[in-house]
Amino acid sequence: MNRQSTHSTCNCFHCGLPVGAGTGYHALLEGVERDFCCLGCQSVCTAIFEAGLQGYYQRTPEGVLLAPPPEPPRDIDIYDLDEVQQEFITRSGDLRDIHLLVEGIHCPACVWLIERALQREPGVQLANVNLAARRIHLRWDSKLNKLSNLIRALARIGYSAVPYDQENAEGVIKKSNRSMLFRLFFAGFAMMNLIWISIALYSGADKGEFREFFYWMGFVLATPTLLYSGYPFYRGAIGGLRAGRLTMDLPITIGLSVTYAYSTYITVTANTIGAVYFDTVTNLIFVILIGRYLEGMFRHQALSATKRLTELQPRVATVMQDGKEQITPTRAIRPGDHVLIKPGYKVPVDGIVLEGRSAVDESMLSGESAPVNKSAGAKVTSGTVNTNGALLVEVSTTLQDTTLAKIIRLVEEAQASKAPIQRLADTIVPWFVLVTLICATLTFLIWYGKSFELALMAATSVLIITCPCALGMATPMSVAVASGLGARHGILIRNGLVLETLSRVTHFVFDKTGTLTEGKMSVAVMRSAPGVEISDILRSSAAVERYSEHGAARAIIAEADMRQLNFRNVAVQGFHATPGLGVQAEIDGKTVLLGSLEWLARNGINPDAGLQAHALELEAQAMSCVHCALGTVHVAVFALADKLRGDAQQLVNELRAAGIGMTLLSGDRKAVAESIARQLGGMDVIAEVLPQDKDKEIQRLQQSGAVVAMVGDGVNDAPALIRADVGIALGSGTDVSVESADIVLMHNGLDKVRLATLLSRRTLRTIKQNIGLSFIYNVIMVPLAMMARVDPLVAAITMPISSLVVIGNAARIRNLFNHEKP
Amino acid sequence: MSVIYSLIPGMMFLGLVFFVIMIWAVKHGQYEDMEGNANRILQDDDEDMMP
Repeated sequence: MNRQSTHSTCNCFHCGLPVGAGTGYHALLEGVERDFCCLGCQSVCTAIFEAGLQGYYQRTPEGVLLAPPPEPPRDIDIYDLDEVQQEFITRSGDLRDIHLLVEGIHCPACVWLIERALQREPGVQLANVNLAARRIHLRWDSKLNKLSNLIRALARIGYSAVPYDQENAEGVIKKSNRSMLFRLFFAGFAMMNLIWISIALYSGADKGEFREFFYWMGFVLATPTLLYSGYPFYRGAIGGLRAGRLTMDLPITIGLSVTYAYSTYITVTANTIGAVYFDTVTNLIFVILIGRYLEGMFRHQALSATKRLTELQPRVATVMQDGKEQITPTRAIRPGDHVLIKPGYKVPVDGIVLEGRSAVDESMLSGESAPVNKSAGAKVTSGTVNTNGALLVEVSTTLQDTTLAKIIRLVEEAQASKAPIQRLADTIVPWFVLVTLICATLTFLIWYGKSFELALMAATSVLIITCPCALGMATPMSVAVASGLGARHGILIRNGLVLETLSRVTHFVFDKTGTLTEGKMSVAVMRSAPGVEISDILRSSAAVERYSEHGAARAIIAEADMRQLNFRNVAVQGFHATPGLGVQAEIDGKTVLLGSLEWLARNGINPDAGLQAHALELEAQAMSCVHCALGTVHVAVFALADKLRGDAQQLVNELRAAGIGMTLLSGDRKAVAESIARQLGGMDVIAEVLPQDKDKEIQRLQQSGAVVAMVGDGVNDAPALIRADVGIALGSGTDVSVESADIVLMHNGLDKVRLATLLSRRTLRTIKQNIGLSFIYNVIMVPLAMMARVDPLVAAITMPISSLVVIGNAARIRNLFNHEKP
Repeated sequence: MSVIYSLIPGMMFLGLVFFVIMIWAVKHGQYEDMEGNANRILQDDDEDMMP
């Protein structure tokens, strides 16, 4: 267990990674010189030893490799503000309780280390680590210590912690699922006991002295099961009746109530003709609850989409007051205030730039992949990211009135007004209910002439035997199996109901940036002046650009890396970037300029006529051009474009072959969107749209009778994803779009859309088969029941069989992708 | 066979007790962290108490 002996000298003492020669991170610990792979490991390990917690290294299980510590969170101080803390803590007096989400926990020794280290901090009353969920439950005295100090203490020993709002993150859905689980457990418990009693009755006890005793025991077990576990059905049925609809819950409750009432009547009157069906009551509840529970697991968590959206807005901002920086909660900012936005931070408000120049990444809002240059007078939007320069902004709107808040309202509106999904089973159930009730009434009337007793028994058995078990399980079982299969193939089905809808889709709407294209710039075309070797230029350009943060720089570096140009040890001096124009540096005493034509002109360089003409041509194809000058000569032009995803073409071809309509919706410029559509062989293009227009466009398509699927990935797609009949998001997309979608494609495989469609068709077919099977069962059994020929034993055997057949048929979906590789 | 009159209610009562215990356990987070506590018990804390 002792790491000191298991570690050779050339591995990092903390994380065990090999230490490169000459990294030069050492520390003298307990008189022994130790090597480290990085500064992070060194400082964490030193802190651990200083705190006297070196026992950590003995406790780390053998074979577990620690990782270098994660980066400590930024802006910890904001968590000391009461306005910010309010959202996370529960308090009693000065004692505050908080849950922290922790990065960097890898083994049980971490639990020991964290709890020990936190308990040494003043004011900490409770520090409890949940290893499985990677969370800490912390209780501390806010008079004795600040939360930021505690988070810093964690950062010192190598863990990055952020407050976590447990109630909001998992709250309602988890609770309702849990209560469903308890009901299911109870029904299961009662069912298992009742089966023993039923076996005793069938094997002869119903003739003997214990008959009444067993009947009463059944009564004792079935009564609480019906009231507690069966409660959701009664609630559903009554709710449905109030809304004037015949729901699946209605035949279930009628069946349950009649069966229970009849059995109770037999038990109480000690009638010797009839038999009790208490086991049927509990079986029915148990089996249908399983279906409901499976369904509940795939319930749409639409509520959290709005919450994630709100989280995009930063909680605090730096307000300039009398020339001083002041950290202020966003909700306390008023229009007219001046806010400083540092590079790398999110814009907290909507406003107008007063001073400074920077490129702002608005991709999450507009879908535009390249950062947009902002200088004095430009508008900035809350939630976007300031990339490379500081901006001083005058606040125009805050919180409820920002563009982001408007998108939130759109999402909410779309959720509220979206038509509910019509399920196949839902369209059949009312008829089924009606026919069952008519059959039962007829049976009663026919037999009434013979005897009242017999008529009552026959009518009841009709209601019992048309057990909606199989019908109730038909959809949830198929959806559950299909969802499991989808998950294994990278198709996450968040809302199982859309599996039925997806196979009926007649129109696909695609977002452009990040969905059909990769969402990042890459070098599409390079052209150099005559007599200049392009790879030399590319090497120098990449050498300069590695000091820049701009998206174009990343594209050029990626291109140089791909061509394996050795540019990283080219010496570069005097790097200087002018936001919005370009960069400048020196290599071997020669000036290298990279940027727009204007940037070259400002530095007194005349553009090369050939290159300029070429650039114009490329720009007409919606590419953006970066020009390069060496010394005083314009030598090359790089054209950057957002490349199509590899599988986009294939998907579009397949959809076209299937006769499905397609529309490209983009917030980007028209020329860019049309160029992409042309590459894909042409489709309807609607460009330069705002988020609300995307939503409206889908509404328009739906009104013209189309069943619409929307594929998107940005925040601005969220309202449209919800509005569409089927919303499909890419796994790499923003959290908000993922939360708004019905289906999420992991690993960004667009071809998964095809698999999802196949899966959907198969699911729908299975649902139809299952409904058919349950009808066949009813066609055989109902006439028997109407003839009063069904005795309890027959019922007890045939009813579970009908459910099993449906479950077995649903399980066959799992073979669908046997020929596809996972 | 009259023992059946006490055995069956007894069985149901026991089942109910287990059901209640299970609900109590789930509600009090006994199943929240299956790994952490399993390991916590193995970690010695008594070094400084040893003679």
